[in-house]
Amino acid sequence: MTDPTVAEGWVAAPLGRLKDDARLLSGVLLYPTGRAVGQFGFSNAADVMSICALTSAINASSRELGRQLDGKPFYETHHAGADRQVFMARCAAGSQEFLFVGVFDRESSLGVVEIYFAEFQKTLEKLRPETQGTGVGPTGDFEGELNRSLDALFGPLGKR
Amino acid sequence: MKILSQVVATLSHLPGVVVAMVVGANDGLIVETSAIKGGNPDEKDPRKHTAALGAYLYSKATRASDAARLGTPAFMRLEAEQGHICVVGARDVVLVTIVTPDANLGRVRLDMMTEARSIS
Repeated sequence: MTDPTVAEGWVAAPLGRLKDDARLLSGVLLYPTGRAVGQFGFSNAADVMSICALTSAINASSRELGRQLDGKPFYETHHAGADRQVFMARCAAGSQEFLFVGVFDRESSLGVVEIYFAEFQKTLEKLRPETQGTGVGPTGDFEGELNRSLDALFGPLGKR
Repeated sequence: MKILSQVVATLSHLPGVVVAMVVGANDGLIVETSAIKGGNPDEKDPRKHTAALGAYLYSKATRASDAARLGTPAFMRLEAEQGHICVVGARDVVLVTIVTPDANLGRVRLDMMTEARSIS
């Protein structure tokens, strides 16, 4: 398994610990806008781009679904496939919210992922994003933000 | 087939059993649990972690046992400084108990295996 690659250095250590402790195959930490902050398990920027876009959309949909069905947003989503499982949840550092999506197989379990993600959440709560306030809110330029974060993770297009 | 709440109630009444749980074997999530005996409300609840990691350890022990061509493990006991974690598999679930160091482990083992058979 590869070490996390990050666009913001402060998430590298907690993300690496989460990967190892929860035995995740791959994972992406991102802003709710879809901008990637860090990833592990992916070598292709296009995959991360798709995952960020989908996770951002799923998060928005599941929150609204939660509000409609239960009066409060759903913050955690789990999908069990035949071989692999997907876990999505939110976390925060200071006042900044983040989303995390991770993939695991039979080498781990939902219970194990949940307990180590809770530890990751607590670690992140104590940290502060280095780049807080530098355009992390929705700017309307979804594609531009996504591409900039992918450049930070995988290098500029053409050098990936 | 015995209902899971009865299994938990039976095991939790054994002398020395601090908590008894039925846990999903694949996901490590608690299906049924007893209250913690003598638990301090200020202390962190250990059940969720113990359930997830107990089920995880049992799955690894099953693989080790299989690799050694010993078949399915009958009973797993982890001895720690201040007590034991006992795990027994029962099809799609595992029974997990936290036990004090002075408990009658023979009785705990026997009753856990009996309860596991009752839900298999």
